[in-house]
Amino acid sequence: MLRSFGWQDIEALARGALWTLALCAISGVLGTLLGGVIGLAATSPSRIARWVATALVTFVRGIPLLIIVFFAYFGIPLLFPDLSLSAFATAVIALTVFASVYLAEIFRGSINAVPRGQWEAADALGLGYVKKLRYVVLPQAMRIVVPPAIGFLIALIKDSSLVTVIGFVELTHAGTITSNLTANPILTYSVVAAFYFVICYGVSRLGRWYEQRSPTDKAAVDPEEKPSALQLEGV
Amino acid sequence: MTFFYGDLLPFAGQLLSALWTSVYITVIAMVVGSAFAVLLYLGKSGGSPWLSRLCSAYIEVFRNTPLLVQLYLIYFGLPVVGINLNPIWAGIVALTLNNAAYTAEIYRAGFESVPPGIVEAGQALGMRRGTLFRHVIFMPATRNVFPALTNQFILLFLASSIASIIGLPELMNSILNINNHTYRTFEILSVGGLLYFVVAGLFALGSRIAESRLFGWGVKRHA
Repeated sequence: MLRSFGWQDIEALARGALWTLALCAISGVLGTLLGGVIGLAATSPSRIARWVATALVTFVRGIPLLIIVFFAYFGIPLLFPDLSLSAFATAVIALTVFASVYLAEIFRGSINAVPRGQWEAADALGLGYVKKLRYVVLPQAMRIVVPPAIGFLIALIKDSSLVTVIGFVELTHAGTITSNLTANPILTYSVVAAFYFVICYGVSRLGRWYEQRSPTDKAAVDPEEKPSALQLEGV
Repeated sequence: MTFFYGDLLPFAGQLLSALWTSVYITVIAMVVGSAFAVLLYLGKSGGSPWLSRLCSAYIEVFRNTPLLVQLYLIYFGLPVVGINLNPIWAGIVALTLNNAAYTAEIYRAGFESVPPGIVEAGQALGMRRGTLFRHVIFMPATRNVFPALTNQFILLFLASSIASIIGLPELMNSILNINNHTYRTFEILSVGGLLYFVVAGLFALGSRIAESRLFGWGVKRHA
């Protein structure tokens, strides 16, 4: 039954947009945790851990997200026949794997961007590996992580449209349903695109605001920065 | 479960010809998209405020919406206004338009990295505008962003798999087809993933060789 595009369709698309946001929020958080672990492994003193992490990141970054999505969709039921996952859970798993390797690369780059002198200073203070990371390296690396991580988050929101192929009704899939119901693909997909645009543009503005808000962040990792006389005398 | 890759052997030819389709649509989208990207950058940084706004809007819209939605608009939307594209052309057009927006931003960084001094030097030598642009601005700009262009090319190659959703017979589409014929899901997905990975690696290698051939002149800025 065909009908014309109306408010109820915008409502349906808005619901899809919320699912897209939920999907990206959950897989973004899980991907950050997993990516953090892989990123730490890629910068760890252990050669084996470094090798495994680097191989994993290099391989998964070299295959398309669609392959990962289909692997999750077809592969998990083959490996674990008793497990019945919802389309949402499958989508979260696929996007988490995808996000974790890209974020791991961002973490690795940021940890390596912390000046060598900081590591050596921590060594000189006799800090162990965990304390060195916890108190010296990671607080500085986290500030470098934020801009590229926000850039990746925007890519993740756009790429999450691919889980439409496994039938999860997020924004793009809601668009397909609406387009079939109203036979108005131009209007429907333009509205879908507008939703994505608002979300992604909003996130990128947020990122820019964050960078401008904290001008001292650059100085924090600047090896040229000299401590002020006040700091030297005060401590 | 057991793995058996033998069932895939009869499909090797199909897989390779599909891989070739993936490669050539990526190359077309990269070449045409880059030319379009340079025009977009010139329009954006040029004197006309309306053209500049139009080019900025194009870049922002294409960079902030998913490729899949752009593909849907071209493949399902355009026939409504009387433009019927087959999946191959729809895929190439979508990838080209999308790639142009990203590449325009890469070229912006490239053009901004060209020191004004050498442009002034070229003017002082009495170069024509075309010569000046080509030899003094365009080539050094391309050299400076060549690694970023390579990266974009590889991402575009991986993104070309998205065109399988509208039925473009490229590698991903062929993988799903073979899956339907053999039910060897794990095997075909792993072989397909490996193919993408290996070809992406070859592109990276080829780019490094091309870089030293094309841009071996002068002093390297990035050692």
